[in-house]
Amino acid sequence: MLNDITFGQYFETSSIIHKLDARIKMILLILQIVFIFLANNLISLSVAFGFVLLIILLSKVPLRMYLKNLKAILPIILFTAIINLFYGNEGRELFSFWKITVTSGGVINSIFLTARIVLLIIISSVLTYTTTPNDLTDAIERLLSPLRFLGLKNAVHTLAMMMTIALRFIPTLVEETQKIMNAQKARGVDFENGKLKERINALIPILIPLLISSVRRAYELAEAMECRCYNGAEGRKRMKQFKIRYYDILSALISVVFCLGIIFVNFVTG
Amino acid sequence: MAPILEVKNLTHTYDASTPFRFDAVNDVSFSVEEGEIVGIIGHTGSGKSTLVQHLNGLLKPTSGNILFNGKDIWENPKAIKNIRANIGLVFQYPEYQLFEETVYKDIAFGPQNMGLLGEDLKTRVTETCQLLDIDFDYLEKSPFDLSGGEKRRVAIAGVMAMRPEVIIFDEPIAGLDPMGRKNVIKMIENYRNSFNATVLIISHNMEDMAQIADRLIVMNKGKLAKFDTTENVFSDAKFLSDIGLGVPAVTKIIDLLKSKGFNIEENILTIDDAVEALVKLKNGGNTYA
Amino acid sequence: MNNIIDVKNVTFEYTGGERIKTVIRDFDISFARGSFTVILGHNGSGKSTLAKLLNGLYKPAVGDVFVDGINTKDEKNEIEIKRRVGMVFQNPDNQLLASIVEDDVAFGPENLGIEPEKIRERVDNALKTVDMYDYRKKSPHHLSGGQKQRIAIAGIIAMEPECIVLDEPTAMLDPKGRKEIIDTIERLNREKGITIILITHFMEEAQNADRVIVMDNGKIVADDIPANIFKNAEMLKSVGLDVPQTTDLLIRLNNSGLAVDTNAISIEEAAEKIATALHSEGI
Repeated sequence: MLNDITFGQYFETSSIIHKLDARIKMILLILQIVFIFLANNLISLSVAFGFVLLIILLSKVPLRMYLKNLKAILPIILFTAIINLFYGNEGRELFSFWKITVTSGGVINSIFLTARIVLLIIISSVLTYTTTPNDLTDAIERLLSPLRFLGLKNAVHTLAMMMTIALRFIPTLVEETQKIMNAQKARGVDFENGKLKERINALIPILIPLLISSVRRAYELAEAMECRCYNGAEGRKRMKQFKIRYYDILSALISVVFCLGIIFVNFVTG
Repeated sequence: MAPILEVKNLTHTYDASTPFRFDAVNDVSFSVEEGEIVGIIGHTGSGKSTLVQHLNGLLKPTSGNILFNGKDIWENPKAIKNIRANIGLVFQYPEYQLFEETVYKDIAFGPQNMGLLGEDLKTRVTETCQLLDIDFDYLEKSPFDLSGGEKRRVAIAGVMAMRPEVIIFDEPIAGLDPMGRKNVIKMIENYRNSFNATVLIISHNMEDMAQIADRLIVMNKGKLAKFDTTENVFSDAKFLSDIGLGVPAVTKIIDLLKSKGFNIEENILTIDDAVEALVKLKNGGNTYA
Repeated sequence: MNNIIDVKNVTFEYTGGERIKTVIRDFDISFARGSFTVILGHNGSGKSTLAKLLNGLYKPAVGDVFVDGINTKDEKNEIEIKRRVGMVFQNPDNQLLASIVEDDVAFGPENLGIEPEKIRERVDNALKTVDMYDYRKKSPHHLSGGQKQRIAIAGIIAMEPECIVLDEPTAMLDPKGRKEIIDTIERLNREKGITIILITHFMEEAQNADRVIVMDNGKIVADDIPANIFKNAEMLKSVGLDVPQTTDLLIRLNNSGLAVDTNAISIEEAAEKIATALHSEGI
């Protein structure tokens, strides 16, 4: 059961998107989200669609992987689409029912919003499919590093260190949970049957050992880190200095061109 | 009499529908008689742990059957809880499963889940402690205040308190110091002798296996490579070393002496055996003196 | 200076509730540079506490510990002391903190503020030393216990310590993993000249040490070369330790009337000594 939990969504291929610096990818993601929401007519939206499609192809991650993510949030997409149908009263009245009126403006609104959400999900999936959780953690630390000028250097470092350690221990704890569950099952605990209250009670023999072992792990890890000269962010240098390479710059430029394109299309047609 | 536990063509496949598919246990058959101590040896990843988790129904076989007292344990899936009470399984590092406030409550947890109540439960816990030499003073202590070796004993007592007819141990002595190892082995022997229980033990410690196991199952790459008396298994040192296992140190010494031309005919598993054989050799010039 | 660590008149106590438990009593010991010392003792003999005193993780209540002449109580030198005396613990899982092997090994040198290219060099060398270079991009989660423990050792080597203290590094490993670790430790001592202090309760691991110290109840019970320690079956049993099967056999043969030289540790030596004894009996 717990074996099904895969952490992170990283999907290994040898694409150019995989090779991009994670920081660049993150900044571009934010840029693209902003501009996808700026696209306010059919043409600029089509340009955005085309660009996202291009990225999907470049990522070499199978299309069905993206569809899987979309499927997961399908109810939210449908809900937003339907609510938006009734929202707004511009354009020609299409039909009216009780107190609700659907106008052509509402339909267009709904289509736009749905398209934007879909693009948003896909473009975020590109980031998570093509970047390892470790690189993401590093990228967040590095992107937030300007905050050190606000005296938040240690906070940023601590956050990143917590994320690193969490990533490392998730599989270990999943495995441990499974072991403890099996051991308690062998002592007659029944997780599958019984009333809700009984099932909740059955969790105690799992949660307490898990908690105790996590505390022990934390304590031992802290000692081990101290023995490895850990002293917070003080005097620390990273081995991996993420260097910006030419294709990082190239991709950044292409994205900027794309964004300018949308603004231009918006301007010309709007 | 029918064997108490019978495994027939057991196969367990992980990730069957993916490219990572592999048979952790592959067509394993054996049977165990009541009151036996059977050791299971094999290097890490040979399928030992997966195998034993089938024996009390924690894992379901991909194919094959497990018979307990002649009946398939999965005959009635709803009754698997009863099977788990009759076939106890002590996992590796069982002390990490302790969770109650007191030692008493933790030992009582298993029997309680089986439906034991009131005086019966109390008697069961105290009897178990008596049998296993667990100090009554411990009963009101928190299990987390005990030393590592004591925690291990309490955790094992928690399974033994269910009075399983068959009890399986996955590396019961791992991580213990010599004193702790001796105590745990004594517990296992005590339990077996008191209830004529059947015991299966996974261990890497060949010296201990030589001491207590009647028969040995040798697992290799998910298959049962050998199932024979301890003496016979350890007499084939070459076979064992080929699959990455060893024999007790004393057996190795005697094997070296044999290869130097000394006339020792017995298979030697323990120091007692070795001393006896060598003294005989010295006194009579041959082992039949 | 010939000693890497000097423990001078150290007493260490734990306070748990109202009880005060003395774990280390009036301890005096020095570890010579480049030596390989094994510390034996049952659980609770104080050997783990001693380990943590050696690199300043614990500070003595009474007495002093000096690393390269620096007092471990000297807070200015805290980092330098820990760099010089590295420490490897029992549970390999609880000392690795990164999801990629090479990132984990880099952690120590990163903390020391070394230049990135130099860190890379040290990480690669450390991984090659423990024979895990091919696994540098892997996640520790997918490695065996012995491999994880080798990564932990690499993480210490990358700090270029003078001395490594290992606190029961093999207790949770299978025989194969144990052998991997002991071989690695012995090689580090022999080839790199790193001082090794190995804490264990497996007698066989002491075979190739220069010196064995037996601890009980926070005190030194014996301090000698391995052969002399192994021979002393009574002392070992009295402190709750096993006598290795090889020595046990030789001693018992002696008691049963076959005069065997008990000065043997390895299986081959033991067989040799028994053969000699039998030959002299005319067999």
